[in-house]
Amino acid sequence: MSARSEQSKHLRERLNNELKRVSLDHCVKCTLCEQYCPVYPVTELFTGPKFVGPQAERYRDGDSVDHSVDYCSSCGTCTVVCPQGVKVAEINSLARAVMKVEHGMPIRDRLITETTIMGKMMTPVAPIANAVLGNSLARGVMERVVGVDRKAPMPTARSQTLHGWLRSRPKPTNKPTRGPVVFFHGCAGGYFEVDAAKKSIEVLEHIGFKVLVPKQGCCGLAHQSNGLFDRATDQVRALVTQLRSAGTDLTIVSSAGSCGGMLRHEAHEILGLDDPELLDVGTRTRDISEFLMELHDAGELPTDFKRIDLRLPYHQPCQVRSQGIGMPAADLLRLIPGIEVVESGAICCGIAGTYGLKKEKYEIAQAVGKGLFDMVAATNQGVVACDTETCRWQIEKSTGVRTVHPVVLVHQAYGLS
Amino acid sequence: MIDVVVIGLGPAGLSAALKLAESGRTVKLVAKGEGGFQLSQGTVDILGYSPERVTSPLAAISGLPGGHPYVGIGADKVRDAVLWLRDTVGDELLVGDLAENYVLPTAVGAMRPTALAQPSMVAAHQASSYAVVGVRQLKDFPAELLAGNLGCQVAWVDLPARKEVDSSAHMFARAMDDPGYARRFASAVAAVAPKGAVLLLPAILGVKPGTWRRISDQLGRPIAEVPMQPPSVPGIRLHDALLAKFKAAGGRVIIGSRVVGCKTAGGRVASVTVAVAGGPRDLRASDFVFAPGGFASGAITVDSRGKISEPLFGLPLTQTDANAVVGPDYWAPHPLFEVGVETDDAGRAKYDNLYLAGDIIAGAERWREKSGEGIAVATAVRAAESIMGGRA
Repeated sequence: MSARSEQSKHLRERLNNELKRVSLDHCVKCTLCEQYCPVYPVTELFTGPKFVGPQAERYRDGDSVDHSVDYCSSCGTCTVVCPQGVKVAEINSLARAVMKVEHGMPIRDRLITETTIMGKMMTPVAPIANAVLGNSLARGVMERVVGVDRKAPMPTARSQTLHGWLRSRPKPTNKPTRGPVVFFHGCAGGYFEVDAAKKSIEVLEHIGFKVLVPKQGCCGLAHQSNGLFDRATDQVRALVTQLRSAGTDLTIVSSAGSCGGMLRHEAHEILGLDDPELLDVGTRTRDISEFLMELHDAGELPTDFKRIDLRLPYHQPCQVRSQGIGMPAADLLRLIPGIEVVESGAICCGIAGTYGLKKEKYEIAQAVGKGLFDMVAATNQGVVACDTETCRWQIEKSTGVRTVHPVVLVHQAYGLS
Repeated sequence: MIDVVVIGLGPAGLSAALKLAESGRTVKLVAKGEGGFQLSQGTVDILGYSPERVTSPLAAISGLPGGHPYVGIGADKVRDAVLWLRDTVGDELLVGDLAENYVLPTAVGAMRPTALAQPSMVAAHQASSYAVVGVRQLKDFPAELLAGNLGCQVAWVDLPARKEVDSSAHMFARAMDDPGYARRFASAVAAVAPKGAVLLLPAILGVKPGTWRRISDQLGRPIAEVPMQPPSVPGIRLHDALLAKFKAAGGRVIIGSRVVGCKTAGGRVASVTVAVAGGPRDLRASDFVFAPGGFASGAITVDSRGKISEPLFGLPLTQTDANAVVGPDYWAPHPLFEVGVETDDAGRAKYDNLYLAGDIIAGAERWREKSGEGIAVATAVRAAESIMGGRA
């Protein structure tokens, strides 16, 4: 048996044993997943989570016949809204992984998922990398050769990595009063969204935590959502080891919205990993807004915030919502006097990690995000808040409005910037 | 820092949560998924059969047997609660005065009594005659069957919501919110609609509450929306309106996480345990409203040996053996569906600060007597008022 058919057999068994048998028959066809799916209403190419999931799955025994599952953006909303506990998104992610193993996958999907390599290569040559990514000729070549849409948002390379900043910055002056936490910034926080990561560290230090920042790689989420399960597994296992190296009983605070979700549930539920080390890290991981709101609910968060007079559109990324933690960033921002948080009400911005970069999906992603972009245009006063990196790039590229992690405003309200 | 945790996002959970949030309480609502109103007809039933068809639901409440959820509340309080809901969402969404039920056609042409309905539906009440128009690309709406059972004429329009042969009601409703599409739809309907005092159309006339009026005005004759399968567009309107009001009142919502346990001490619930991604979180609060639904949502379960239980709080049920309450006749009353939890007059069960609302409460076969939303809202308002200090 070839390696590919071995891999396909393994994935099929998982799909069958872990997901189909325990959750497929719970579907009562209420169709709420379709009501909330962000992709289904904007394209006929995707027949909706119920059809490609609990219905088509029954017919996928011989061959993965329904290729429309590839148009699922993996936002996870169908599982969140299902009132019967059907793991619709997980079924569809595995079905796609089977399809990609059996039918092959574009080289593009292997390239755009290598975020850490991109970061490492781009940082030393940041101005050149940014110029290339801003060059329409280069983007045209990239679209034709690789399949990344020429209009899709790209990260901005920074000349200093987060760890470069950590090594060179002056030591924090205030003494920690609350003990240590581990900080998880994700690969984007390390290389591209360095500002959000820095400010998260400074906020945590400001309220009395000692912040440990172990060296850390990619969580593998992008590989996973492209069906590259083996590579994703290697990545997330390495990350788990790195995060555990800083301590095995400390809270892990994450500023990487969707990557936190990978550690907390997706690696377990979609990749099927049961490693006790992964489950341990997942249990200890908190989104930074969730962590601060837990302190607030316990009466332990300083709220001596400076006033910021601002009407602030806030978009919760689908992959933060799918963690089932409510909307802690909106709750947190509302504690700052003067900020009027306007929730986007949008299910998804369209990008869904790497989905909206692909040339065959770019227009769909823009259509998914249209309601959000219109809402931002109608309500913003110069800034939007959103918890996840690629969503911020998508919103900023599509609206022209500066889009920041919510912690950036908390940092400002504490008088740190 | 949280005053009340509400479990459940249906008519009961949303009503209790909104009422409490509007009174200034800090409320966190937790639901394992979406649901409730979207799975309903988008109307508010109070009492439709008892067991014969009821004309005045309020008058009929006093005739209900002991053990019915309404009996401990009383007709006046039921009326106040339901009118609160009506006035809260406004008369673009709910109309009716509770003195007399509307009798409205279902999508298969049966006549169904309900107390409050959406303004887009009520022209069908006591109409002298009907006409039906279906949409070829809306296969979920059986226009021939509806017209056949009503004994009226039917016609079809051919107008896809988008480029596909079969779209859902929700997809049509989204298209209808675009005034251009609504205009084309009304023109197509006007071109074929048969004669009849009231023109029945599928309930796809906009997700937004006012869209149906544009179509009605253009047609220039009385029309009525007929509710369809879930997710029901009129149900979505009610759900969205209540959820938006709850959030505007400062309410916080967790959707997609199951409540899996509780911690109790001294006859009170101290916290409930929510299974968020990665692990359990304990939500502490002063009071808890439990509005999880009943059998259909899995809040009350029956195992393979017929043992009925409420797994979360281990609440006492009026019957624990399903074999004793399931009969052989499909059409006969099913006492199984009356099984639930009995509460005290404040709506509490087992714990001093645990208030119940909705389907979890024993004593009514809601789908048979058409009382689901009324019981949900009345018990939700009772729970909220008990917490706010009006405890009986």
